[in-house]
Amino acid sequence: MIAQALDILTTAAILYAVATGLLLVFGVMKIINFAHGGLMTLGGYAALVTTQLGLNPWLAIPAAALFGAVAGMAIERFVVRPLYARPLDAILATWGLSIVIGQLITIAFGRGVQFAQAPLDGTLDVFGESYSAYRLALVPIALILGAGLTALLQGTRLGLETRAVIMNEDLARGLGINSGLVRFLTFTLGSALAAIAGTLITPLSSVDPGMGVPWLVNAFMLVLVSGASLVSLLVSCLVLGGAQVLVSTHLSPVLGGLTIAVLAAIILRIRPQGFARD
Amino acid sequence: MSASGIEVQQLSSGYAGAKVIREVSLATAPGEILAVLGKNGMGKSTLLKAMMGLLPRMGGSVRFAGREATRLPPYAVARLGVGYVAQEKALFQDLTVEENLRLAVRRTDFEVALAEVERAFPFLLQRLKQRAGTLSGGEQKMLLMARSLAVGGKVLLIDEITEGLQPSVIDRLAGVIRDARARHGTTMLLVEQHLPFALAVADRWAVLDRGEIADTGAAGEPDAAARILRHLSV
Amino acid sequence: MTESRRLGFILAAALLACAIVAAGPYLLDTYSVNVLTRSLLYAAVALTVDLLWGYLGILTFGQSVFFAIGAYAAGLVFTHLDFSNANAVLALGLGIGAALLTAAIVGWLAFWHGASALYASVITLVLPIVATQLLYSGGTFTGSSSGLSGFTSFDVSMEGWFWIAGFFLVAVTTGAFIFVKSDAGRLLVAVRENEQRCKYLGLDTSRLKIAVYLACAAIGAVAGYLYAGYSMVVAPELAGFVFGTELVIWTALGGRGTLLGPVFGALIVDYESAQLSGDYPFVWQLIIGIVFVLVIVAFPRGLLPMVVALPRRLLARARGPASPAGEMRLVRLDPTLTQGEAPGDGAALAVKDVAKHFGSLSVLSGIDFSARAGELVSLVGPNGAGKTTLMRCIADGSERSAGSIVVNGHDIGRRPPEACVALGVGRKFQMANVFETLTVAQCLQVARVRHARPSFWKRSRTLPLPEAALHVLATTGLDRQLGTPAHLLSHGMKQALELAMVLALEPRVLLLDEPTAGLTKTERMQIGGILTELTRRQGLCILLVEHDLDFVREISSRIIVLHQGRIVLDGSVEEVVNSELVRQVYAGSGHAGIAHSAQPIQTGAPA
Repeated sequence: MIAQALDILTTAAILYAVATGLLLVFGVMKIINFAHGGLMTLGGYAALVTTQLGLNPWLAIPAAALFGAVAGMAIERFVVRPLYARPLDAILATWGLSIVIGQLITIAFGRGVQFAQAPLDGTLDVFGESYSAYRLALVPIALILGAGLTALLQGTRLGLETRAVIMNEDLARGLGINSGLVRFLTFTLGSALAAIAGTLITPLSSVDPGMGVPWLVNAFMLVLVSGASLVSLLVSCLVLGGAQVLVSTHLSPVLGGLTIAVLAAIILRIRPQGFARD
Repeated sequence: MSASGIEVQQLSSGYAGAKVIREVSLATAPGEILAVLGKNGMGKSTLLKAMMGLLPRMGGSVRFAGREATRLPPYAVARLGVGYVAQEKALFQDLTVEENLRLAVRRTDFEVALAEVERAFPFLLQRLKQRAGTLSGGEQKMLLMARSLAVGGKVLLIDEITEGLQPSVIDRLAGVIRDARARHGTTMLLVEQHLPFALAVADRWAVLDRGEIADTGAAGEPDAAARILRHLSV
Repeated sequence: MTESRRLGFILAAALLACAIVAAGPYLLDTYSVNVLTRSLLYAAVALTVDLLWGYLGILTFGQSVFFAIGAYAAGLVFTHLDFSNANAVLALGLGIGAALLTAAIVGWLAFWHGASALYASVITLVLPIVATQLLYSGGTFTGSSSGLSGFTSFDVSMEGWFWIAGFFLVAVTTGAFIFVKSDAGRLLVAVRENEQRCKYLGLDTSRLKIAVYLACAAIGAVAGYLYAGYSMVVAPELAGFVFGTELVIWTALGGRGTLLGPVFGALIVDYESAQLSGDYPFVWQLIIGIVFVLVIVAFPRGLLPMVVALPRRLLARARGPASPAGEMRLVRLDPTLTQGEAPGDGAALAVKDVAKHFGSLSVLSGIDFSARAGELVSLVGPNGAGKTTLMRCIADGSERSAGSIVVNGHDIGRRPPEACVALGVGRKFQMANVFETLTVAQCLQVARVRHARPSFWKRSRTLPLPEAALHVLATTGLDRQLGTPAHLLSHGMKQALELAMVLALEPRVLLLDEPTAGLTKTERMQIGGILTELTRRQGLCILLVEHDLDFVREISSRIIVLHQGRIVLDGSVEEVVNSELVRQVYAGSGHAGIAHSAQPIQTGAPA
């Protein structure tokens, strides 16, 4: 019972960390960034390199953020910017980039499955249940990410301008807001978050050139169900992630793998705005 | 032609394949208020959007306060000191009154801007934390006007601020506009359908008919209303 | 070029392609024959991606699933029931049936009334994920992750399979080519370009999409069935997202909306992958990825149009200017057939107590009026009065919040736009709303589909239209521009074309939203003349939203004034024009007391 509750909580935290970057980009730019999976892979390899260099595993997070941000800048400038008027094409082009990133990593690191060192080992005792310390640590980490992003959006001039662009881009431009710059910065931040998410999941899975892709579809579905709100993303992750855990333990792990995608598709069929307010 | 008012020369604009305004030329002296009138669908809003760069300019030129704006994107036009009040969806409904004001104010001190707002519409200072969407229609229009004043720009382009407002609010807006011009010398272009309001605040008027300037004159001329109504009447 | 010559050319090209396929095994080495057999089958699936995405505008990631369904049908039957001729037929039937069933479920989910393009793509993305997981969880029945192999299959040589795959591809491609160039096939482009206009021309676009989707599923299943028969291995990867996106990549590289581009794209990329992946596996994938991104960003039409463009341009120079495609002949339909029974005395349109609100905001309330056949009722009022909203409520049963609307004696209930069209409602939008890439004649043909079922393989050379539509074409000179693509028309001509399209529906109640916006004086006069003609001679009931009050005064038989969502006045032209109330509503002159001397008003019907 307690183990299951912890499973739900930690699964939701992982999903939240994985989907925030995608949500940010979708909210501001109305574009689904299919390079998200590739950028996560990039973050996973940042963790691997950190391990190989013998550095503190926590350092992988800033390293991943840096790699992701730089890649994101290049992607926004050369690929995404010409495609704002063609959102379906943007999905395809960013998917192509995911392939490119995967192949570049394969050429550099080989195709094999590798493992990065986890920043936390062992288990913790929670209400008499011993549970993976790292999975538990992901809950505060996800909350910090969410809180940091909320603070950025709610508490800074850039955040205010970003929210303005999300709500009404024409109006924002008419008030002197450089929406092109806001988009650029948003994509950069979203890419950095994707790479951080890639680092965060490495202790739970292996590091390989295709590691980000399986996460992509679930993250994408969660974002569609959540609209552009960080709060409704939290709700979606808890509800759909919880459903995934329950189906996996009580029915079958294979069906569990489908739960998020299928439930999200059905929710959107009944309520096109998903968990978003309006 | 003065170097610090609005200069629009031969401006054409519209949507893909359909020019809505054709070679419109307008000019104002600094601190002058020009009212542009005309029936619905005659291109008045298109004119303002094209001046801001929100619609493609398909020929012609635009200058504000002597500075070239023809090829600038909207945010850069706004940063020249041009305030624009759109007719529809001109507020961020889900943001607070304060956030709506802050978004527009980038150069000046926000306290100074608030003082300007207080002078015109003191009630807004009590509502700073309220969501703009929860204001009444008239209050929203006053917030719009307040936002333009808070920026302290040299030029204001205002699209039908009086639409759907009750007479007392219209009177109040007229007072605020005259006061702003008297104190800051703001140049304004008002797109209006409300003839009495337009003639009361403007120095000059122009009528836009099917995308072209059909007539212009001074607001003080005795036959102004009759000449305009010829273009507006049923 | 006559119709039979055009079809003859296509068939000759198909025969040539068959000859090349027949010669293939004699010219290629065994390895190539083996690899190309697979490529030929993949190309047939890529073709279905192109039909859905390139023509119909539905970006699909899930066509791999139908291929896998066909393949697994063969694999499962041959493994568990053994191979026999009867079982081979059974497997094919099962494969096609399962594919159709799956496609029907997906279509119901993805193409419902009001679903967005993104949602449809999302569903096609979920499909391969579900399919792969189901195959994984099938245990020994589906062979789980290793799939099924070692089953007996048809006793056909490798060359034989090459020929079967090749002839199948040629047949499918030829059929698809003839279809998309036919009158019925043009509807696909019309739906992609402007689905809303299609619905308001009475087309059930959801049904059309599902029908095409079903056909594509069946083609995919047959290709998959052949694949299993030839390779004797089926694996879950066939259903996967990666293969699904590969199909999209080949389509994009070859050129979406060209049919031949995706076919060649699939053949070349898949064949080369097999050749090169042995030596340079990752570099090859990297190159494909980079070229794909480049094509999407810089050459969204794909590579085939670029390859073809050059020789075509040279040819065009040699031939001189292309002959205008003005081969279409207009035919006047018998007026007794197009007008139905004579307009009765009852109301053509009865609006009772209609209200519309968005949340707490009331846009329309208590709207109550009726109009007879032969009446031209103008709706006037300032911006935001609710005029366009009222039009929308009459043309789409799901729009209003309360009240009832009766057209020609039929309550529209909650019917969607296409069903309202069937009751006799024709709606012209405010901004000219036509099919930009289609020609004038093709736009009009789409408008006639409701009355005359289009051919699936031929192109009609005649265009039968009701008199009213012909009248608009003749008056505006559009009849001399039948071959001109709509995007080249002036704004006024587009407005006239849309009016003609709506009239081609043979409506009883015509809704016109600012038909003269942005028109020149002469054009407005023309439209005005046409409208009064239509009411007087054809007995149409016209509801007109218009800001140009001179125009309204000249042509209306009655005027309804809307203000803040309510009817404030409903009366004759004189009554409205002389009303002080209306003057207040319009010029805002109830305030500040600026006297105005309106011109003396001419009343009465125009000459």
